[in-house]
Amino acid sequence: MDFILLVFNSFSLLMDPFNLTYVVLGFLIGTIFAAIPGLTATLAMALLLPLTYTLSVETALMACASIYMAGMCGGSITATTINIPGAPSSMMTALDGYPMQQQGKGALALGHAALGSMFGGAVGALLLIAVAPFVAELSLLVKTTGKFSLLAFAIIVVVIAQRGRIPQAGLAACIGLMLATVGLDAMEPITRFTYGDSNLTAGIALMPVIIGTFAIAEVLMQAYEPTDDAATKAAASKVKIRRRDFIPPWSDIRKIGFMCYFKSCLIGYFVGTLPGAGGSMGSFLAYTETVRTSDEPETFGKGNPKGIVASESANNAVCGGAMVPMLTFGIPGDPITAIMLGVLVINGVQPGPQLMSDQAGMIAPMLAALLFSAVVLIPLTLYLIGPYFIKIVSIRKDVLYAVIALLAIVGSFVATYSTFQMFMALGMGILAFYLRRNGFPVITMLLGYILGPNLEEFLRRSLSLSNGDPTTFLTNLDSLFFVLLTLVFVYFLVIRKPATKSPADRSAS
Amino acid sequence: MFINRQNSFLYVILVVSVGYLISAVSLGAPIVDNGLTPSFFPILVGAAAILFATVLIVQSLRNPVENTKSDEPRTYTHLLVIAAIFVYIVAFRQIGYFISSTVFVFALILIFSRVEKLLLKAGISVLVVAICYVMFQKLFGVRLPTLWG
Repeated sequence: MDFILLVFNSFSLLMDPFNLTYVVLGFLIGTIFAAIPGLTATLAMALLLPLTYTLSVETALMACASIYMAGMCGGSITATTINIPGAPSSMMTALDGYPMQQQGKGALALGHAALGSMFGGAVGALLLIAVAPFVAELSLLVKTTGKFSLLAFAIIVVVIAQRGRIPQAGLAACIGLMLATVGLDAMEPITRFTYGDSNLTAGIALMPVIIGTFAIAEVLMQAYEPTDDAATKAAASKVKIRRRDFIPPWSDIRKIGFMCYFKSCLIGYFVGTLPGAGGSMGSFLAYTETVRTSDEPETFGKGNPKGIVASESANNAVCGGAMVPMLTFGIPGDPITAIMLGVLVINGVQPGPQLMSDQAGMIAPMLAALLFSAVVLIPLTLYLIGPYFIKIVSIRKDVLYAVIALLAIVGSFVATYSTFQMFMALGMGILAFYLRRNGFPVITMLLGYILGPNLEEFLRRSLSLSNGDPTTFLTNLDSLFFVLLTLVFVYFLVIRKPATKSPADRSAS
Repeated sequence: MFINRQNSFLYVILVVSVGYLISAVSLGAPIVDNGLTPSFFPILVGAAAILFATVLIVQSLRNPVENTKSDEPRTYTHLLVIAAIFVYIVAFRQIGYFISSTVFVFALILIFSRVEKLLLKAGISVLVVAICYVMFQKLFGVRLPTLWG
C-alpha cells in the first residue's frame, strides 16, 4: 500500500515542468520512431541513452517509460492507414485496421486503437504498481543458488522462445556471455580476454553494446536492405484523416464489450512478464483468443474493431508486465527493458531484488509516467496531432539515417570521452548487423551480455558454498522451483510444440 | 559446397569460439579444491558456442540450396557506411567535431540518396551538425572536441 501511495505522490514530480517536458518529448519521439516502418522505439531509446548521463535517474526513467508506451501504440498508425506496421507489435492491428481504412473508417480505427492502447497501458501499469511490491518481497526469499537458477531460466526461456531458430538463439546468447566475460574477473584479481589492452580491463561497457546493437546495426540494415520508401509515401499521400472521426461511438464500445478489453489486457500483461515474449506475442495471443471466443469469427480480418482493440490493449499491457521481472529480479524481458536496465546501471544503481525496497522512491515516478502516458498522452497525442500522423512517413530517410548515425557515434563518445568506445560501438554494430542478417535474434545476445556477470558469479558462489556439489541446485527449494519452471517451459515450447505459429515465427526478422 | 555466403559467417563465429575456448583453457584449471576458477565459466560458454555453431554449420550443409537462395545481397552500401563511420571516428579527435561531422553527415546523406542537389544536402548537413552541437554541448553539457583543442 505504501508503494501505491508513493507512486501516486510521484505525480507531483512528474508535473514538474522540466520532467513533464522530457516525458512529453519522449512520448512524441517514441511515437514518431514507432510509426516509421523500419525504425523502432528501441532505437529511439538507444539513441537517447547517452543523454541520460546529464539527467537525474528519475527523469531518465520517466522519459524511458513514455517512450516505451508510445512505442507500443505508435506502430498502429501506419498499420491502420497504409497496412505497414510501424512496429512488430502492431502486426495484428493491421489485420482489421487496414480493412477499416479501405472502408473509409481509418480515423475510427485509429480511435479504437488509441482507446485499446489507453486501456491496456493503464491496466498494465496499475497491475504493475499493485503486484510489483509483492513480487519484490518474494524475490528477497531467493538466495544465491536460486538466483543462478532464475537467471539460467531467463536465458533458456528467451532462447527456446525463438521457435524455429533455437540454435541461432543459443549461439547468440553464447556470444553475449562471451562479451560479458571480457575484463576483470568479479571474484579474483585476474583479467580475462583483454589481450593486453588496458581499455578492456573494466570490460565491454553497456553503452556501446546498446548503441551498436540497436542504432548502428539498424543504419547498416537500412543500407543493406532499404525499405520501399516510395510505395509507403505514395500510400500515405492518399490517406485523409479528420479529427472529429477519431472518437469511437459508445455503441461500438458496447458491442466490443468490456470483457474483450480486460481479457486482452490480462493476456498482454502476463505475456509481458515472460522473458523474450514481447508485444507481438501478446497481441497475437489476445487476437487469436478474441477470434476464438467470438460469435462472428468470420468478420475478423475484414475490419472488425474488436480485433484492433484486442491487439492494441494487449501490446500496451505488455509494458507493465515486462517491467515486473526487470524491477524485481533485474531480468529484462525485451530490448526496451534491457535499455531501461542500462539507465539504472549507468547511474550506478544495481538492479535486483533489493531495488524495489531500497530505491522505491526512484522507481515510483517511472511507474507514474507509465500510467500518465497511457491515460493522458495516448488520447491527447491522437487528438492533437492525429491528422498529421501519417505525414511522419514522409520524413527524408537519407537525412534521418545520417542523423541516427551521428547521434549514435557521438553518443557513444559521451560516456568516457574516448574514441575507443566509438570503435567499440561500431564493432558491436557490425556484429549485430551480421547476426540479424543471418537470422540470429540479437535480444538473446543482449540478454546473455547483461545477465552473464551475475550468472557466473552466482554459479561460482553456489558451488563454493556447497563445496563443489552441483546437487545444491536441486536441494535448495528456491532453486528447485526455477529448475522445474525451466523444465515446464522446455516441455511446452520445445517438446510439445504448439499448433499455431506466432507472428515472430512468421516475420523472423 | 562447404563454404557459401550463408555459412561463411558461421565459420567465422566457429573460429572465434575456438579461439575463445583456447584462451579460456589457458587461464588455468577450471576447478581447484572443489571451487570454480575464472576459467570455468568461459570454458563452458566457449564449448556451448562451438556446439551451437557446429549444429548450424551441419544444418546449412544439409540444406545448401535453400540457404544460397535466401542470401542474395542486394547492395554493398552497408560496407560504405561502415567505412564512413570508421573514417569519421578516426577524424573526430584529429580535426574536431564540426568538420568531421559535417563531412560524415554529408557522406551518409549521399550514400542513402542520389548524388544530386549537392548544395542543398551540404546545407542540411551543416544544419544537422549545428543542431546536434547545440543539443550535446549546450543542452546536455557534453564537451565535444574542436580543431583548436
